[in-house]
Amino acid sequence: MKKWVPYLVLIVFSIIMLIPVYIMFKVSLSTPEDVLTAHPPYWIQNFTWDHWQKVFESGNIWAPMEKSLVVATLTMVVGVILAAPASYVISRMGRKWKYIFILGLLFTRMFPDVGIVLPISVNFLEWNLVDTSLGLILAHLIPNLPFLAWILVSTFETIPRDLEKAAYIDGASRLQSLTRVVLPLALPGIAVGALFVWLNSWNEFTYSLYLTVSERTLPLQTFYYINRGDFFQSAAYSVFLTIPVIIITFVLQRYLKAGQLSGAVKG
Amino acid sequence: MSVSEKLFRGVNAVKWLRRYKLEIILIAPLMIYILGFTFLPVVRTIMMSFQDRTTGEWTTGNYQYLFDRPEFLDALTNTLFITFVGVASVVVTALVIALSLKSVMKGKGLFRTLVMIPMGVPTLVASVTLLYVFATTGGYLNEVLYDLGISEVPIDWASGGILTLLMIVIADMWKVLPIVVLLMLAGLESIDEEVYEASRIDGASSWQAFWRITLPLLKPSITMAVILRSIDAFRIFELPLVLAGRTTPVLSTYAYTEYSTYNNPHTSGAAATLLLLLIVLFIILYMVFVERKGGDVR
Repeated sequence: MKKWVPYLVLIVFSIIMLIPVYIMFKVSLSTPEDVLTAHPPYWIQNFTWDHWQKVFESGNIWAPMEKSLVVATLTMVVGVILAAPASYVISRMGRKWKYIFILGLLFTRMFPDVGIVLPISVNFLEWNLVDTSLGLILAHLIPNLPFLAWILVSTFETIPRDLEKAAYIDGASRLQSLTRVVLPLALPGIAVGALFVWLNSWNEFTYSLYLTVSERTLPLQTFYYINRGDFFQSAAYSVFLTIPVIIITFVLQRYLKAGQLSGAVKG
Repeated sequence: MSVSEKLFRGVNAVKWLRRYKLEIILIAPLMIYILGFTFLPVVRTIMMSFQDRTTGEWTTGNYQYLFDRPEFLDALTNTLFITFVGVASVVVTALVIALSLKSVMKGKGLFRTLVMIPMGVPTLVASVTLLYVFATTGGYLNEVLYDLGISEVPIDWASGGILTLLMIVIADMWKVLPIVVLLMLAGLESIDEEVYEASRIDGASSWQAFWRITLPLLKPSITMAVILRSIDAFRIFELPLVLAGRTTPVLSTYAYTEYSTYNNPHTSGAAATLLLLLIVLFIILYMVFVERKGGDVR
């Protein structure tokens, strides 16, 4: 193989990966005559902040943004509280049981979301949980708990058992060795997993769509403008939806390992 | 079992409970949540799919209804097409990118960051921007084709049929390439350089080295990528809903329409159950045929 072939491949794909993001920013910052035409220019010819301004002036973004922030943050907190202790226990099991539990967590990924959320939506209608943040948090935990537990099991596995034994010898109780020795060492891994959960919940669409009538999250608000065929509002909302995701993803990129990621493979 | 044996077991169970009390308290909330909010709903969906909408009697009527609907058969074939074509092309493309990333000397970090961009874009946003790319009038792909002189008349990508399916495949590929590239890269980096050196000394060409060393040793990564990607491709929802909701249903969007538009959880449940069946069937078939065959060759 020639030396330049891999460079060519990488340059072509880098451009392909960049183009849609560029177009999103372009549409949200162009006047209509640049976009609603049979032959749109490749560069921004008539620049405008109008669409961004309209988003903030209409005020339609604040309620969805608040709901998305509340749901994502609480999903993250509750998720860590539920998954971290269980993951610790799984990481300390014998090989056979550990394998069974991890396989069981993976197994839940096979279930189609539309099959899980259907009876939940029926129940939530009866329980008046539709349109509430609580209902959404309960729903967003469903895809995120197995994923988070999976990341955390591999985090706890890296903490040697001898450290705990040393703590017992020094007179610590089991609970003390957990909170004083294991937890501080696991904190970086827990933080990475927690941020992933926050992102997943911030982006979540399917469960939110089933469980929302009028109190939309940010992705649903974007979807609302897509359905109305409003190019500029949907582009502007997409930008605001994406900015926190891009920032967090590039912070996280340093900590990514393929093994953890395979749990994050979401279509 | 004698009484004393029973007693013995009971005492053992109590001992076991007492010994692992802390572990059980720590693990129980997660397990209860997954049972209650994942396994139970799936069981209920399957049960609902076999119940009549009005009387609640056991019936296969919901399934008969589905197979009488042309839209459902469309959704079924669309889903199969998107999964098979999509997964095959994403794995091959990701492998090409990963091999390129591994072989370049300069700018590796920069290229890696650039290729990872779609990971920082929510799926819904990816669908929106690809809507602009594939739009009939004012779409950027049509504009490029026009400027290159390939197609004078704008192509209507979202009108249904094979073009729309290819559009969905390409859009999905854009979004998921980074993760598959990472999986392949991890697989490539776990292959020992010495194996390649040995093959070079034995006179193997780089082409032979690829087929005889890289591919067989990469097989676990490929299997993992194929299975994880197929599951997600079978369940694909947002992309087709945004890009081609009206013309091209897939199983997930079909199930959603049955519930949201026709307000019928029972037929929606039947569609979801068939989707689950398809996924399970695919994994079993892949494991039996592809995995076992590979084992024989080695």
